[in-house]
Amino acid sequence: MGSFNLYSRGDRIFGVANAFLVTLIVISTLYPFIYIIAVSFSAGSAVTSGQVTIHPVDLTIAAYKRVLSEKLFWTSYRNTFIYTIFGTIATLLIIIPGAYALSRPQLLGRRFWNFFIAFTLWFHAGMIPFFLNMRDLGLLDSYFGIIIGFAGNAFSIIILRNFFESVPRSYEEAARMDGANDFQVLWKVYIPLSKAAIATVTLFAIVSRWNGFFWAMVLLRSEEKIPLQVYLRKTIVALVADEEFASSLLEEVYSFETVSAAIMVVSIIPVLLVYPFIQKYFNKGILLGGVKE
Amino acid sequence: MSAVTLRKVFKRFGPVEVVHGIDLSINAREFVVLVGPSGCGKSTTLRMVAGLEEVSDGTIEIGGRVVNEVAPKDRDVAMVFQNYALYPHLNVAENIAFGLRLRRIKKDIITASVNDVAATLGLSELLHRRPADLSGGQRQRVAMGRAIVRQPQVFLFDEPLSNLDAKLRTQMRAEIKRLHRRLDATSIYVTHDQVEAMTLADRIVVMSDGNIEQIGTPMELFLNPINTFVAGFLGSPPMNQLEATVSYADGGPIAKVGSDIAIPLPELRQLRNAEGHPIIVGIRPEDTAVERNGAANAAGIKCDLDLVEPLGSEALVHVSVADHPVVLKTETRGAISHLSDVQEFFVQPDHIKVFDQKTGLALDHPEVA
Ligand SMILES: Nc1ncnc2c1ncn2[C@@H]1O[C@H](COP(=O)(O)OP(=O)(O)O)[C@@H](O)[C@H]1O
Ligand SMILES: [Mg+2]
Repeated sequence: MGSFNLYSRGDRIFGVANAFLVTLIVISTLYPFIYIIAVSFSAGSAVTSGQVTIHPVDLTIAAYKRVLSEKLFWTSYRNTFIYTIFGTIATLLIIIPGAYALSRPQLLGRRFWNFFIAFTLWFHAGMIPFFLNMRDLGLLDSYFGIIIGFAGNAFSIIILRNFFESVPRSYEEAARMDGANDFQVLWKVYIPLSKAAIATVTLFAIVSRWNGFFWAMVLLRSEEKIPLQVYLRKTIVALVADEEFASSLLEEVYSFETVSAAIMVVSIIPVLLVYPFIQKYFNKGILLGGVKE
Repeated sequence: MSAVTLRKVFKRFGPVEVVHGIDLSINAREFVVLVGPSGCGKSTTLRMVAGLEEVSDGTIEIGGRVVNEVAPKDRDVAMVFQNYALYPHLNVAENIAFGLRLRRIKKDIITASVNDVAATLGLSELLHRRPADLSGGQRQRVAMGRAIVRQPQVFLFDEPLSNLDAKLRTQMRAEIKRLHRRLDATSIYVTHDQVEAMTLADRIVVMSDGNIEQIGTPMELFLNPINTFVAGFLGSPPMNQLEATVSYADGGPIAKVGSDIAIPLPELRQLRNAEGHPIIVGIRPEDTAVERNGAANAAGIKCDLDLVEPLGSEALVHVSVADHPVVLKTETRGAISHLSDVQEFFVQPDHIKVFDQKTGLALDHPEVA
């Protein structure tokens, strides 16, 4: 008796269950990474015989040597950078002004346009019409086609529009009285105030560009234009048929599991490097202090 | 500094009309306060002057120029917003300089102006802080700085003090007044707080329901409210209002409240031959006394004591007169024990206001008569 407890029994059980679930989620997201890294540094035979679980077995960098010596690997790596950087820029150039316009109450036919954008979230024409459309626009097998063809994104526009709508109107009104035109209101008020939301959609764009695979495979013909993901697939397919590779398998230095893993590791690194810089903008407090409601 | 004139100004939001054709003329250098209960259209009126809302009908002139179609930035007005609207990503200096930068003014001139304004407002030490790191009063000052730095023709304030606590509000109120003396700029100030209105205004505009009720100096409105609305709005506690009918006793007019209370009324022309006319008797709490104090012509009014609220040097005495609640304000001079057996209070007939019960208008107001 008498011991004072701030939390009820139910609260404590809830806390423990939460911790357990979070741990489970962390493990299930982290483990594939660890596994891929372990595989990439292991000997092929060890992987094939299922010995690798969490750390490398028979440590070797043979897989990396093989990957990094391929000219096409570097070409595709460069291409992925091109698609990611210019694709993300194109996306931002389209969705920021788009979301801003859609957030303006004075936009003519605002409801219609908003409906129009949201509509594409649930319904689209499908793959074949899209392909034919790209073909007829002369956008097959071109950098530009990949960059511009996938720049618009209804989901990101809607996220950003909602954020813009939540910015107190008095910011804009103060700027207008100070002499700002529409463009300056967007550039000097809405964009700085929406860093967190813009960082979110930027990260979406970067990740989806970096991992872009399917349409690149469908739309690109020339080897020198393919991105990393397509190269990865090509390699896996090619390795199976490669005789030299088959003979190297006998020496059990690497297998196509270890080579694929090495490509994946190498391809993840840039995203891991960029993330912390973007993450710092995920700061809810950014709006605090400017207005008082 | 420019005069501001509103002529028959209407505002409609779709089918709903919220400002019903107001006329208002504000002199150059004047400090005018729009006051009224929440939702009466003060902000809407101010925002039409700012150019943030379109005028549905009528004209607004600033400095003799009709500005209905002029963009906010070209009206040469500056506004202090209720929520301050400081940019969180900019520091104090950048916030103040924002408008000047947009106008592409030379850098060294901007720096000089910002330093000047910061010195005026006591912000010099804070120029590199972000809004998030400022107190409420400091943020308020930055918001004022942003308006002042542009040296506009007209300042607009929309409830600038309503986010501050009571003490800071009093302090900032005095600062705004000092600032106005110094800048001598035409100012339109919106508030729902009658104390702010009384203390700041050269002239007060009392609004209700999208109409102007009365315009005048604080003392004019306090002493001669045109109707029961203004009478009840200005003054704290507000004027007591008792429903009564006109009658006569000893050759003078009296107000009959209930069956047995008679309050002597001032000798007004409008009260001659008005037997039985329904009126409202207005008595300011300050005009009452709990002792006769040698005022021979003061009438004693019987009342039942309800409760005493000591405020220190003064006390509020809540009583009822023929079941109507009435508040008296009296000096305590250090004691309240004598207030607990109040059975009667005194008021001079000259201090009593008489309103028509049907129209609510003051019987003797020059604008009414
Ligand atoms: N943008 C708007 N759309 C529709 N009604 C509005 C709008 N702005 C204000 N109103 C209405 O106009 C009336 C006056 O509002 P406002 O001028 O803000 O009052 P106050 O500032 O005196 O409190 C209110 O009834 C309010 O609901
Ligand atoms: Mg308001």
